[in-house]
Amino acid sequence: MERPLSPFMFPAWYRFQITSVLSILHRLTGIALTVGSILLAWWLVAVAAGGEVFASTHAFIASPIGVLLLFGWSIAFFYHLCSGIRHLAWDAGYGFEIRDAYRSGYAVLAATVVLTVLAWLYVLLA
Amino acid sequence: MANTRSLSNATALRDENVLRRVRHLGSARDGLQEWRLQRRTALALIPLGLYFVASMLRLATSDQMTAAAWLASPVPALLTILFVLALLAHAVVGMRSVLVDYVHTRARLVAAELLVRGAAVVLAGASVLAVLKLFLGR
Repeated sequence: MERPLSPFMFPAWYRFQITSVLSILHRLTGIALTVGSILLAWWLVAVAAGGEVFASTHAFIASPIGVLLLFGWSIAFFYHLCSGIRHLAWDAGYGFEIRDAYRSGYAVLAATVVLTVLAWLYVLLA
Repeated sequence: MANTRSLSNATALRDENVLRRVRHLGSARDGLQEWRLQRRTALALIPLGLYFVASMLRLATSDQMTAAAWLASPVPALLTILFVLALLAHAVVGMRSVLVDYVHTRARLVAAELLVRGAAVVLAGASVLAVLKLFLGR
């Protein structure tokens, strides 16, 4: 029996709400951070190797693509952190009411923006 | 009424299929362990992640010497190793739960999981070795 499965429900039949969007974002940022862990390991190895390896790694990180990746990584990190704390609260049995879920969802988004802006202000002003 | 009947038939058919699928594959058996590992690493990653990112922000515009000196001191070395290990363990469990949802062929699922696990082991080994080299060589 060929019925549409969940990913194909999205454009036509599924109405987005903040709760489902945040849930999807939690997974997407998790995947992004997993990929980002390659850059993390690469940077640690480059610091240990020093010399030419560090110079080329630093040049890549300081390039427009590198900075864009770092910016994306920082948003993903702060979002996944805040959203993860929301998930841990759910695991502990708190915040299941629809109203609470919406409030904590908006709080996660606000905290992500604030933390990302603060982090990059610190880097730019230092 | 015919409509309702066919709907309930469809539900019964679906339930039967689900049951058959469950019987065929059996339980994963270590599901609860994974659930616990995901939460424990998540808890550990709150302080470790904040510490590491704060350190990276301080080091953002520094040269190799400063970064190497930072990683060679005991507390940053220990916390960086713990951060990388917790991060990769958390990533493996998380990626597994994503793969289980979207990769429906047994062989492909096993291959993808092996790839993720293998990559995580290599990254963990390389990171620990890098930090240890700086820590021991100072």
